[in-house]
Amino acid sequence: MLIAVGSALLLLWIIIPSFWAFKTSISPHEDAWKPLPSRITLDHYLSLFNPSLEAILRGMGLRAALPDPMIVYIRNSLVVSTTASVIGVILGSLAGYNLARFNYRGKRVVIWLVLFAYVFPVFILMVPILIIMRNLGLYNTLLGVALAHLAYTLPYSTLMMRSYFMGIPPSLEEAALVDGCTRLQALWRVTIPVAVPGFVTAFIFSFTLSWNDLLFALILLSSTRNYTLPIAATFFLWGGEIVDPGGLAATAIFAGVLPAALYMVVQRYVVVGLVRGAVKA
Amino acid sequence: MLSLRREALSRWLYVVPTVILIVIVFILPIAYNVWLSFHEKVIGGEPVWAGLKNYERLINSPMFYKTVLNTAVYTFASVFSKALIGLGAALLLNREFWGRGFLRGFSILPWAFPSFVCAVLFWFNYDYRGTFNQLLMLLGLRPIHWMNYDNAMFSVILLNVWHGWPFYFMGYLAGLQAIPTELYEAAEIDGASPLQKFRHVTIPMLKPVILTVILLSTMWTMGEFTQIYMTTGGGPVDATLTIPIATYRIAFQTEINMPLAAAYTILVLPIYLTLIYFTLKMMGE
Repeated sequence: MLIAVGSALLLLWIIIPSFWAFKTSISPHEDAWKPLPSRITLDHYLSLFNPSLEAILRGMGLRAALPDPMIVYIRNSLVVSTTASVIGVILGSLAGYNLARFNYRGKRVVIWLVLFAYVFPVFILMVPILIIMRNLGLYNTLLGVALAHLAYTLPYSTLMMRSYFMGIPPSLEEAALVDGCTRLQALWRVTIPVAVPGFVTAFIFSFTLSWNDLLFALILLSSTRNYTLPIAATFFLWGGEIVDPGGLAATAIFAGVLPAALYMVVQRYVVVGLVRGAVKA
Repeated sequence: MLSLRREALSRWLYVVPTVILIVIVFILPIAYNVWLSFHEKVIGGEPVWAGLKNYERLINSPMFYKTVLNTAVYTFASVFSKALIGLGAALLLNREFWGRGFLRGFSILPWAFPSFVCAVLFWFNYDYRGTFNQLLMLLGLRPIHWMNYDNAMFSVILLNVWHGWPFYFMGYLAGLQAIPTELYEAAEIDGASPLQKFRHVTIPMLKPVILTVILLSTMWTMGEFTQIYMTTGGGPVDATLTIPIATYRIAFQTEINMPLAAAYTILVLPIYLTLIYFTLKMMGE
């Protein structure tokens, strides 16, 4: 009985706040503020990827606040997130491997540095990062934003890959070394193939971290053609009014379902990895 | 000997790029903030030494204290609610019943959605014609303005709680599953009631997880930018002006004064560093 009530409350708590956006994303424009739509349409989703459909909406004054077709922002977000996570996972794997396998002086300092970076609130860095990117000539470029996103992806991938490599027994590599492989060959032929699930997990999480970011995109990008999805979403609100509810809802659902689907695949690794020390104790 | 040293060097090579990048992205900017905070600068001009002027200005402005207070209220209320809801859900979904697997997966959804998506979902809830007002009218109550001066803080907290509680749920559940069942059996033999088992077995065993999760989440909540920027932008006036939003406002919106923003971040840095210290200690390294 208690379980039934609890489960019902839990379901309502999750469903009620997300219901309106889901409903609006499949309702015709005139039904946006009615609890239930009169018919179901996929136009809002299609218009995200189809600039000519979008041009019609623009003509109706619905998407007038958006300077460019949505597909531009989707593409920018994909480019930034992929770049930031690929670089983060490659460098993070190297560092994670080092921290999992070797002992040397100063290792504790490196681990503390990575953990520090992992929990440090990035908003404190907004002014200096802007100035660094200006000096590097990367202001208003997608590469600049992707590099700034290393602030999220690099510490995360390092910690994630470290705990993954710690789970792979070193005897695997030692066997390869005995068989006459060099350390690099052992790494390439033995450890890396075993670590593929780790790479995938680290990549997916890095991707969602970068995909979520509004702050760096906001301060590092100045021309609308370079904007990412989170900034584009803010354009739908005009003087406190939602201009195009259907389009906004479809944007949000699309932008949420992509990382959520990826996240579901690998979610059990995340938190367990984070609280691993605490769970063991 | 030489080969040993080369071996040691090649080990360092793996970690050097990450260390350098972390220094460039985190350590240098913090140092630069300290340097910049003692300067002033007109737009387009070079920074000039200004001593403690920026700090004096901040210490003497009521805005500074208001933002610290706002951040404390926002963080405390959010973290407290998330910790409770997360615990309730974890205890519920740790029992065995039909549909548990589905509920466990479904519960992660709010956390799996990006912050900015959650903010957009709540635009539809907080709109005058939106979900929450429709529900209020269904209950025979009057619709309210969710974003006015009195309600805005509650609204941004609710958004943060909805987005953030599954993180606690996942952490607690992992912790609950790690508690050996023998402990409960032993307590049962000693004649412990369910409440006593919860107090003397579950809570003590879960304590390290609870602390780690709360500390991590407190750091994130105190640094939350996206949700507040997208819903209230810190307003109306200063009702929801927290530290991250205030930094952005000073640097890019109202004052456009980067040295002042730098001084502001340095002034609040000790709060964050203290918390980071405890978080890292708790994470067990």
